[in-house]
Amino acid sequence: MATDMRQKQNTNPVVAFLHSVGFTPLGAVLLIIVALLPLVPPFNQEHMIRWLIMGAFLAAQAAAFDFTAGYIQVVNFGFAAILGLGAYTSGILANTSPVLAVQPGINPWIGIFLGALLAGVVGLGLGWLTLRLQGIFAAVMAWFVGIALMGLVRNLTELTRGPLGMNPRSLLETTSNLPYYYIILAMMLVTYVLLRLVTRSNYGLAFKAIGQNFAAAKASGINPTRYRVLNFALSCLFAGWLGGFYAHYFGSLTPQTLMHTSKTVEVLALAYIGGRGSMWGGMVVAFPFVFGIEQLRSNLTQLPGLHLVIYGVLMIVVMIFYPDGVAGLVDWVKGLIRGSET
Amino acid sequence: MVEKSSFGSSLMETIRENLPAAIVIAGTLVLTIVIGVVAGPSQILNSIITGGMWALLAVGLALVFGVMNVPHFAHGESFMVGAYVAYFVFNPINQSLGESPNPVLGMLAPFLAILASGLAGLILGVILERLLFYPLRVRTKKGWVMNAFLLTVGISFILTNGTTLVLGPNFRGIPRYWDVPPLNIFGVTMAVDRVVAFFVALVSIAALWFFLRRTRTGRAIRAVSQDELGAQMMGINLNFIFPLTFALATAMAAISGASLLFMFQAYPTVGLKPLYFAWYVVMMAGLGNVVGAIVGGFIVAVLQTATQQFFGISWTDVVPTAVMIVVLLVVPQGIFGSKIRSA
Repeated sequence: MATDMRQKQNTNPVVAFLHSVGFTPLGAVLLIIVALLPLVPPFNQEHMIRWLIMGAFLAAQAAAFDFTAGYIQVVNFGFAAILGLGAYTSGILANTSPVLAVQPGINPWIGIFLGALLAGVVGLGLGWLTLRLQGIFAAVMAWFVGIALMGLVRNLTELTRGPLGMNPRSLLETTSNLPYYYIILAMMLVTYVLLRLVTRSNYGLAFKAIGQNFAAAKASGINPTRYRVLNFALSCLFAGWLGGFYAHYFGSLTPQTLMHTSKTVEVLALAYIGGRGSMWGGMVVAFPFVFGIEQLRSNLTQLPGLHLVIYGVLMIVVMIFYPDGVAGLVDWVKGLIRGSET
Repeated sequence: MVEKSSFGSSLMETIRENLPAAIVIAGTLVLTIVIGVVAGPSQILNSIITGGMWALLAVGLALVFGVMNVPHFAHGESFMVGAYVAYFVFNPINQSLGESPNPVLGMLAPFLAILASGLAGLILGVILERLLFYPLRVRTKKGWVMNAFLLTVGISFILTNGTTLVLGPNFRGIPRYWDVPPLNIFGVTMAVDRVVAFFVALVSIAALWFFLRRTRTGRAIRAVSQDELGAQMMGINLNFIFPLTFALATAMAAISGASLLFMFQAYPTVGLKPLYFAWYVVMMAGLGNVVGAIVGGFIVAVLQTATQQFFGISWTDVVPTAVMIVVLLVVPQGIFGSKIRSA
């Protein structure tokens, strides 16, 4: 992959620019298609646009998740809870209704970033605590912290209304879904491009080195803990940011539907089926995935949970037999085409 | 292990060598006494009985981690399977008993259910190991712990959703196994089911202990946990040891699911809470440390009772995590020491 990019860099300024922000021409075309999709029937129906929003939301999460899982080989098992932390923070900060104990009334556009900041800080603390140890400690501890965060949300009923759920105010004063779609698409793009730029820098090299061989990276003068904590915190920051969007788009937050471990598993499976360490693999899979799931769910109402079983089987098969996932498949096909040209 | 010399000095030495463990055990004892004073002896008895169950679950987890290096996240689903099997074995027998009473069968039916669950656990364990962990091990050993962890996450996901698909999300429970008046222990009334569940846990742990210590196969399992390559060179067949270990662990979890059916009704995600506590125990005691897991089970049960008593039941998710943060800060390898072998 990397050598291909270098060979192509000088050929065309547009292509060169795309590469510098982490896109291949094919990826850029896909992005444009996804952006234009809600303008074309049958995708211009409101429920289809909602699915597209869900797709972009999951895609961005998969990229942020893979930034940690695929690079430093640490699974953030409290990812959904961290996302929920961002969502609740932003939702509470924006609150103006007397239903909750506090009414700060901060503009959601600002609150989203404050929520992200808090999520990032929690990620920093959690990472600092666990990432000195083997990766499994971080995974399990993130899980514990996630469960604790969920417990907090359930218990601090004055702030969150607990299991009843709270209704944060909307980001926009519109009932149309389309503007939200472009917001989440932009957020997805920012998440991906920024994280991609990080992985392209020396930091990215260090992340990869640590993920591949912890001891060797340490021996060559990298402080693995520092890099791992940085990576983890950054991923949490973006998770919190995306959570803020969720809060002010769906307008309903409950601990169970947002912060539960099964939500983390969904993102995890997406990132792995997409291909770990690629960051874009999970994004490519997210859109067809949401449509497939919704189709299955509406056509097989007598078989609840079938889509999740299929999902799990797919994930296990990929994990055992084809760890490169969809990204690996695409690269393989590319290799075939290139091979036949020469 | 410390040799038995003069009892007093060797005890002091053991304490000095395991200072964190000694402090935590002493703290737990103090906490137990406080609970006893504040809430009465029934809460102490409750903690002990719950502790037996967490120990049984955690032992399986520690065993799988110690021997196979698998951080087992589907352990709660083994618990769930055990609960379902026990329900589907016990309920028909119980119904037929309602039509034609038979006191002997009435006494034995719950044990039949628990045994059936254990058997189902053994079979499930072998299937999972051969079907999933074996191919993964053949493909690559690189990043094994993380890969195996994710694999178990996938197993958990499939088993919970598969159960929902086949059996639906309904709760299937029983009010009690034995329809007899509660026992009176030291002035505390205690349901027979709870007492039996505790003894089932004790017997299972003791049986496992005996197996690991006294039989040839058990020694082979311990050898693998100490040095996989060395054990292989001594002619130990990993393709026998790994399925066996996984089967034993799964059976342990299934047995606890079965014997707690009166407390935890069978439903697809019933395993989450037991899984959480089992993981909590092994993280606190030290990953892969089987002996630590047994003691840890009781420590965590006391901690749990104390949280409920002093903070309220809704804080049982929050307070233990705070305690765990302290544990990781002070003794990251766990209070009894970790047997972890690779990243």
